[in-house]
Amino acid sequence: MAEEKIGDTDVQIPVNPTIPSGDQSVWADVSPLLQLACKDLHDGELIHGENFNLFAAMSALEIMDPKMDSGIVSTYYSVDEAIEKGAAPVPLSFDRTIDIQCTIDIMDHLLACEATWHKGHSLAQTVFSCVYLLRPDRTSSHALLHSYCMVVRATCNALVSAVSDVRTNEEEDLFTLTYGLPLKGDGDEKCLSVLHAIDETISRQLRACKAPSTKRRVLEDIEPLQTNPDLEEGFCKAVLCRLRFRKHFYHVLMCMRRPQGKGFELARKHITSCLSELDSMLKLEEFLRSNNTCGTVRDATEEATTASGCRPIGFDSSLNSRLSAPTPPRAIKLLYWKEAVEYFKKLLNDLQVICSYTLDPVLEVVLRFVVGFQKLHPDLVARAYLQLLLVQDGKLYGRDPVFAVIGKASLLPDVIKNHDLQKNEAVVQLGQLVTNLLRILCTNAAWQRRKLGKILQEWRIIHVQLEMAFKKEFGDTLSTSNDENVAVKICNQILIWVEEQTYWIATRFLTLGFELELYSPSDYCMVYWYIYVILIKLAEKTHVKMMRSNDNGRRKGKKKRDSKDAKDYQIPPAVVLFQCQIYLAEGLVMMLAALRNEYNVFQSLGPFNTEHERFLQHFELLQKACLPDHISYFSFKETTNHARLSTLSMYNCFKDAQRIAKELRITYSNDPEKLNELRRIEQVAEHNVVALNLVCRLGTLDPSLKIYFEFSHHPYFASAVVKRS
Amino acid sequence: METEKNKKDDEAEGLGLPRIEAKRYLQGSGVEYVSYGGEHHLPLIMNLVDQELSEPYSIFTYRYFVYLWPQLSFLAFHEGKCVGTVVCKMGEHQNTLRGYIAMLVVLKPYRGRGIATELVTRAIRVMMESGCEEVTLEAEVTNKGALALYGRLGFIRAKRLFRYYLNGVDAFRLKLLFPVQRHTNISR
Repeated sequence: MAEEKIGDTDVQIPVNPTIPSGDQSVWADVSPLLQLACKDLHDGELIHGENFNLFAAMSALEIMDPKMDSGIVSTYYSVDEAIEKGAAPVPLSFDRTIDIQCTIDIMDHLLACEATWHKGHSLAQTVFSCVYLLRPDRTSSHALLHSYCMVVRATCNALVSAVSDVRTNEEEDLFTLTYGLPLKGDGDEKCLSVLHAIDETISRQLRACKAPSTKRRVLEDIEPLQTNPDLEEGFCKAVLCRLRFRKHFYHVLMCMRRPQGKGFELARKHITSCLSELDSMLKLEEFLRSNNTCGTVRDATEEATTASGCRPIGFDSSLNSRLSAPTPPRAIKLLYWKEAVEYFKKLLNDLQVICSYTLDPVLEVVLRFVVGFQKLHPDLVARAYLQLLLVQDGKLYGRDPVFAVIGKASLLPDVIKNHDLQKNEAVVQLGQLVTNLLRILCTNAAWQRRKLGKILQEWRIIHVQLEMAFKKEFGDTLSTSNDENVAVKICNQILIWVEEQTYWIATRFLTLGFELELYSPSDYCMVYWYIYVILIKLAEKTHVKMMRSNDNGRRKGKKKRDSKDAKDYQIPPAVVLFQCQIYLAEGLVMMLAALRNEYNVFQSLGPFNTEHERFLQHFELLQKACLPDHISYFSFKETTNHARLSTLSMYNCFKDAQRIAKELRITYSNDPEKLNELRRIEQVAEHNVVALNLVCRLGTLDPSLKIYFEFSHHPYFASAVVKRS
Repeated sequence: METEKNKKDDEAEGLGLPRIEAKRYLQGSGVEYVSYGGEHHLPLIMNLVDQELSEPYSIFTYRYFVYLWPQLSFLAFHEGKCVGTVVCKMGEHQNTLRGYIAMLVVLKPYRGRGIATELVTRAIRVMMESGCEEVTLEAEVTNKGALALYGRLGFIRAKRLFRYYLNGVDAFRLKLLFPVQRHTNISR
C-alpha cells in the first residue's frame, strides 16, 4: 500500500496487482488520489515541480476544449467509421448519370485540395481529406474513380519526393510531412497505363455518341458512359479533359526529373497539353453547372470547389486531425475550383520557363535567370524544380563541375578546367559556397534574404582563406600581376571574382528588402546610400576582373598593338550599366537627404533611439562582414549632411543616369532583358527629374505640397511623386 | 484593410507643416495606466485578449508572463473599465538581454487616442532601465496600425517571416535597438 498526503487527508492508494512490478517500483491506481487532488486544486491553479515551471505550463492542453483537444473535433472516430456510416459509397450512385456527376465533383474538389496543399497547407488536411484516397482498395470496382485516385496519389508522391530532395527550408517543410498517409497504393506506378486504358474507353464512348445514326449500329456494342444520351457528349468530354490533364501533368513531373534537363523538350509538350486541357475544363464549366446533381443552378460568379457548384461526396477534413499534432489543426479555407485551375496554370507557366532555359554554363547568366524567375513569384513546387535542375550531384545542371563554373565566371580560359588547383581545400570550399548560393536563390524571398545575409560572412572568410592558400602555394609571386605563371593568374582572377560575387550577394540582399517591404520611407535615404556604396564596389571589381582578363588575352597574341589598344580602350558595357544604377542611387540619396535637411521630412525621430541605431540594425550583417571596409554611419552622415536642393538642381545625377541609359541602348539592342532594365532606369530618372524640379520651384511657396515614393517603374529604385494634398 | 491610396497617404510627407501625430496622446483623455498589480488583474487581461486576438491562450500562458515579469505588464482604465493592456517578457537571447512584447490590445472604440503607444512606451522604458539592449516582437504584415505605431517608436522591420501565422499571413519581426556607447565604437 502506498500512502500520500493531500491537504489534510491521508489517502490509501491500492497497488494494482494485475500489472507486474519492477525492481524498485509498483503500479498503483492513482484515481482516488487524482480525485482528491482535483477537489483541492481550483481552476487555473497548477502544481509546481522541479521539472514543471511556468514556461512548461504554457504547453498544457485543456482536455475537452474544442480549440485544444483534437480528440473531440472529429466527425468520425476513424476512416472505417466514416465508411461504415456511408460517407464514401462505391459506386457513388446506382444511377449512372449521378455517379458520373459525383465522380467529376470529386476530381474537381481534389484539384482544389491539391492547389491548397501546394500553397502551404498540410497534405493530411487537403488531398487526404478524401476517404477514397485513404482506402485505395475500395475503389477497385469503380475503374474511373480508381484510376483518378491512383494518379493523384502518384503525383503527390512525386512532388513530395522532389521537394524533399531539395532539402527545403523549415518555413516550407510542411509540404513534405506525410504523417504515414497511404501515399503509395499498390499498383500506383502503373497509373499511366491504367489512365490510358480508361481514356481509350471513354474516347470510344464519345465517338459513339457523336457518330451519325447510320454508323451508330456498328458501334452499338459500346456501352455509354451514363444513361442520358443528351448529356453523354458533355460528360465524356468533361471526364476526358480531367483525365488527360492528370496524365500530362504526371508526365511533366517525370520528364523534369530526368538528369541535366534532358526531359525538358518533352516536358514542354506535356505542359502545353496540360494548359489546353485546363482550358477545356473551364469551357465545360457551364455544362456541368447547368446539369448538376444538387439541382440548383448556381450563379456563375458563385464560388465553389467544383465546376458544377455541388459539394463533393467522400471528403472530411477532420479525418486526419489526430495524425498531425496533439492540438487540432485550424480549419483551413480551400481554394475555389477556379482559383485552383488558375494556380495550376501559373505553376505550369513557371515550369515552362524552367524547361525553356538554355542551361547556360556562365554563372552570371544563371544568376540572372534565377533572379528573373523569382520575379514571377513562383510557388514552392516550381522553385523546387528549378533547384533540382541547377544543382545535381554537386554540379551545375548535373553537368558542369563547379570548378569549371568558377573558372568561367572568373573569365579564365577553358583550358584550366583540369588544373590541380581544384583539389585545393579552400577551392573545394568555394565550390560548396557556389552551390549553396544557387540553392538559396531558389528559396522564397523572405528566407532567401535572411540566408544571403548570413553567407556574406562566409564569402568574406573564403576570400581570406583562398588568399592564404594561394600564398602558401606560390609565395609572393602572387602579388606581381604581370607574372607569366598560369597558376598565379588563375589565383588572382579567382580572388577578384570572389570579391565581385560577394558584392553581388550584398546587392541582392539590400534590394530584396524593398520587395519584402522591410524599409520604411524614413530608411530610404540610408538604404540607397548603402546600395550606392556597394554598387561602386561591385562595378570596380567587375571592371578589374574584365581588364585583367583582357590583358591576359592580349598578351598572348598581339603584343605589338598594345599602344593602340590603350587608346581605344572603352569601359565594358556591364560596368557602364552599373554606373547608371550608381547615378540613380546617388540621385535618390541626395534628393532624400536634401528633403530631410530642408523640410524635416522622411525623418525617424523615435523616443528611444536615433537614426544611428536604425542604421546599425539594417546593415548589421554587412558591417560585420566589412562590406565594404571603412564604412560607417558617419560616412553616411558626411555624404548627406550638407545636401541642399539648390545644389541638386545644378548637379543632377538623375540626368546622368538618363543619358547613360540612352547611350547603352545601342550596345544592348539584342538583349531584351537589359533593354528592359535600361527603360525602367530611364523612367525612374525622368520622373525624379520632374519631381525634383517641382519641389525646387514650389516647395517653400506651397505648403500643401506632399511628396511620396512609389515603385511603379522599378522594383527597387523609387520614383518620387509630388502632389497637392 | 486599407486601400492602396490610403497607404500612400500614410507614407507621404507634407513639405509645409511639422508632424504632430506622436504628441496627440498627451492630451488629457481621462485614461489611467497601472502596472500589473496581482491576481485580480488577470481576468481583465484575459478578457481583453480573448476579445481582440484570434489566438486561443490558456490561463497558463498569461500566468507565465505576468508572474515572471509583472513589472512589464500594464493596464489602461477608462472610467473604471479596463480598455487596454500590454504583456511582455525579457530574457537572454544570444548573449544579449532582450525584451519581447507578447500581447498588445486596446478595445476598438478606444483606439486612436494613443493608449497603445502609452502602454508600450511604459513597458519599453522598464525594459531599457532593466538593462535590455533591444526589444522585439512579431506583427502581421497586414496589421498597418501596429506597424505604424511601432515604426513611430523607432522599431525597424528586421525580417519577414514567411507564412508565420497559421492563417498563412507573413509576419515582420520588428526590432528596437537602444543606444549604447559600445555600438558607436564598433562602427567607428
